[in-house]
Amino acid sequence: MAKDQTIADDTVSAKVAGYGVSYAITSILSALLVMLKETNESVMGALVSITGHHWITQGLLNVVLFVVLGALLSRREKGMSGNALISTVVGATVLSGLIVAGFFIL
Amino acid sequence: MSKELILLLHPTFGVLAMIAAVWVFVEALNASDANIARLRGASVLSAILMWLAYIVGGYWYVVFYGGDKALIKAGPWPFAHSFFMETKEHVFFMLLLLAMFLPIAAYGDVVKKKVTRNLVLWTSALVVLIGLAMEGAGAFISMGVKVALTAS
Repeated sequence: MAKDQTIADDTVSAKVAGYGVSYAITSILSALLVMLKETNESVMGALVSITGHHWITQGLLNVVLFVVLGALLSRREKGMSGNALISTVVGATVLSGLIVAGFFIL
Repeated sequence: MSKELILLLHPTFGVLAMIAAVWVFVEALNASDANIARLRGASVLSAILMWLAYIVGGYWYVVFYGGDKALIKAGPWPFAHSFFMETKEHVFFMLLLLAMFLPIAAYGDVVKKKVTRNLVLWTSALVVLIGLAMEGAGAFISMGVKVALTAS
């Protein structure tokens, strides 16, 4: 087994925090967009008009939002608590999954 | 390339991406200067493979899925589309973003900071768990087509 080289520091770097928070925000917004486009024809039509398919447009929006938000949030000089970031990432994943699955099961 | 082969490439890349994520998880359990390059390489590999799964699956979904969708909706398992496919195609976005985030986390201070290591463990575990759910949903969709064809 490798020697433990860890130090007691609960913070993660600004870049890791920035992209982690960006993932959480993008994931939840994407789930909300699913509900919106499936219940609003004009939103669905707008997504289709951009690339020809709503799913392609939503995928592009997600990737662009994740990268841009991540880059912006990474500019903060301070990192954040790693445990808070883990809770944010896991919580956003569970919440987004429940929103999407819950919407289609109801 | 036949559309069937294109379809098979989608879960193949997905499973390989999950295996790479398991590799990341195992390396992270004992992260040190000796294995950090391997850990980071596996995280990048997982992200690349997940993108390939997304592109190939997305191409098949946009170009070829319409016929299967009509079959499933008219068959005995319409939920294979209305729940499993609809959920799968949208939850996959989260999986793709998580797979992109994994190497970003892995290039953090995984060796010295336990909390960054834990973040990598959680992220890789989520990639594997959501990936397994995607594989399961894919199985329901395939079965939805099969039962529709056998019923007709």
